[in-house]
Formats: sequence, C-alpha cells, structure tokens
Amino acid sequence: MVEREIAEKGYAHPEKLVTTRWVEEHLEDTQNIRIVESDEDVLLYEVGHIPNAVKIDWVEELNDPLVRDYISAERFAQLMSEKGISPDTKVIFYGDKNNWWATYALWVFELFGHTNTAIMDGGRQKWEAEGRPMTKEVPSFPKTDYPIPRRDDTKIRAFKAEVEGLLERVGRGVSLIDVRSPGEYKGELLHMPDYPQEGALRGGHIPGAANVPWARAVREDGTFKSASELKEIYEGEAGLSSSSSGDEQVIAYCRIGERSSHTWFVLKYLLGYENVKNYDGSWTEWGNAVRAPIER
Amino acid sequence: MDRQRRVARLVEHARSPRHRGVIRDADVSMPGGSPECGGSVVVYLKGDGNGGIAGLSFTGEGDTISQGATDLAIEKILGERMTLQEVLDFGYDGFLEEVGRDVVGSRTRNATLGLSTIKNAARRYLRERGGAVRRAG
Repeated sequence: MVEREIAEKGYAHPEKLVTTRWVEEHLEDTQNIRIVESDEDVLLYEVGHIPNAVKIDWVEELNDPLVRDYISAERFAQLMSEKGISPDTKVIFYGDKNNWWATYALWVFELFGHTNTAIMDGGRQKWEAEGRPMTKEVPSFPKTDYPIPRRDDTKIRAFKAEVEGLLERVGRGVSLIDVRSPGEYKGELLHMPDYPQEGALRGGHIPGAANVPWARAVREDGTFKSASELKEIYEGEAGLSSSSSGDEQVIAYCRIGERSSHTWFVLKYLLGYENVKNYDGSWTEWGNAVRAPIER
Repeated sequence: MDRQRRVARLVEHARSPRHRGVIRDADVSMPGGSPECGGSVVVYLKGDGNGGIAGLSFTGEGDTISQGATDLAIEKILGERMTLQEVLDFGYDGFLEEVGRDVVGSRTRNATLGLSTIKNAARRYLRERGGAVRRAG
C-alpha cells in the first residue's frame, strides 16, 4: 500500500519509498521487515539509530576485501543470515547524506536479486528532525537460512567496456550522467598532489556526459523531489528522453559508484526508466585508464 | 580506553572541536581530501620562525572519523609542543593506535586525512621558509 504523501509525488514506483511515519509504525514488525542503516559516517549508528535497525557498513561488509568488486554470493547469503534477513524480508534502507549510502546498499542488494526493498524518504536527517525515537541498543535477530543467490551484473551494473561501446551513441538513445560536483566534472578538483589514492590521474568527464550533481534530486529536508521536479532536471536540463518512450539507455557514474547509485535509484524507480545502470568503476577507473577519451 | 570510549571521544572531537577555525595570518593554508567524497579539511599553520609552531587549526567537513581525528591530531601536536620536524616524524601507525584501529577499521584514509594534511602544511612551510626537510611520513 502506497502512502498518500508518497503517492502525491507522482513516481513511477511509489512502492520503493516509505515515510518516516510508516517506519515508526512498523518498528516492531521484525518478522517481515528489516530496517537497515547505511551511512557514509560509519560511527553515526553507534551514536544512535532507529530502534531495531541493523547497520550495514558499505566498506567493510559490501565490498570484497581484496578485489575491486562487491562481495560474493556466498558472503551475501552469510551477511543476510547474520542480519536476520530472509529472501522475503522487506528491507527498508535509510542513512545520512540524503540517503546517499542507503541507495548504494539498496543497489548492491538488488544485484543479488533482493528486490523487496525501499528507501525511507528523508533518511536519517528527517527522522532526527522530527524527533522520532533513537537508541544505542544494537538489536539481534535469529539467524536466517538465506539461500546463496546468483548475482546478476548485467541489468543494473555497467562496466567500462560497455560504456566504451556506447560512446558513439551518446545523445542518440544513450545518455551518460556524471553526478559529481561541477568542479570534478570539469577536471578542476582532481589535483591534490599528496593524495594520489584520492582517485584518478586525469580529470574531466566521459565525452558526452551531462552533469547533474546527485543531490539535486533531493529537497532541503532530505526527501526526494516530486516526479515533475525531477523531470525538469533530467529531461529538461540533462536532455534525457521521457521515460515513457521506453528506449532510453542511461548510465550514471561518479567517482566510485556510490553517488551515482542515488541517481540510479531516482531514474529507475522514481522516474521509471527501464534501462538504467550504475557504472561503479566510475571516474577512478576511467580517469586512470590508458587512452580512455576525456572531455573537459 | 575501550572501544566505546574511543568512539565517544572521536564523536566529541568531531562535534565540538577545540581547534576548528581559520588563522587569519597563517603562513600556510593547506587543503586535503575530497570535498564530496569522504571528507575534506583545510589546515592553517603559523610557524614561530624557529622550527616550532605558533598556531595550528583546521576547517572542514566530513564524517566523524575524519573530522574527529583531525582535531585529535592537532590537540596532540600542540599539547606536546611538537616542532615542525617532529610533526613530519609523527608516524601514522602510532596515531592510528591512539585513535583506535578497532574504531577506524579499513577507513584509515579518513583517520589520517588531517594528520597527512598537517604534514603537507609543515613541508610547505619548511620549503618556503627554509630549514632542511627530511622526507618523512
């Protein structure tokens, strides 16, 4: 059932958002629902979190510790078991920074086929602003028997070779969205001499990419803008065809694929683009690759 | 100090930093980090003209670890009256032990953002104002 406040915003998939009030009403429904906090600021959960919420740390728990990739299907199943999540558990994500990392965790869950997910609109900021309950108590749930899923990297994840193959068609049915700040997009912010690990050897953007900083999709209070406001930005400014035309292929990227998972969520679920992928290699791959074409 | 207290100390330094602010007549202002991704700081350093430190502060934004650890690093440097050379010799490993490896986990870059930027500021000061610099850190 979609709540009125969400329905009014006119999204293609309103079921992918819940309000803070809905979450407060469902705090005790731990049989069917698992609330997951995923933050950039990893210590926030320990400072206080939504009662019965578990933490997922994107660095330590979703990334493979050795190879630049996400965890294996076996590890994902183990993680779900540890968090008390079953394949049919509805997982509600929330976090800091306008749900930036919450959408990233959701995207990784969906790679593994766990699509019974939603984002708490407004995230941690709105929950706190409304004075809703917080606790330091870390809940523990019985381990579940989560079958090892199959990770599907073809539908919502893009790799460098695919982006290269599409470059010729940018503007003709293919759109690239660079969701970093304008300074990063223009290649101005890269050069911090003592931070080679900060990312990339070259600055700029992938040729033809439009620049729509990810946070433009949210309002001051941390909630997502309405569908019509979002259309103005993504169709009006960035030049995407209407999602109803159905054939636009969109790839979003940032520095390492986290900010762009936020834009992926907006385009896929709020505006309803069928074919939208997150290029998680992003600028730290492209800006280091030999002979990769760059625009400034 | 146990993990919980180390977390509490970082949170306190991040939320109520003692050394946050701009030094208007700083000799060096040194940026570090990524403004959008992971946190950034600007470190302000004023030398005493004799290899020592007359003022050290920072501004910045980012997560609890990066901001709290920057404030902790400055507190230690000023508290122990380190010289610029001693700042360059101040090891990352020892600092991470103090912040707490169990708190930082694999976010060591966030935890050392402030200290590495302070070292960069010290290097630039010594380069521009003279004095031998031994590559360190």
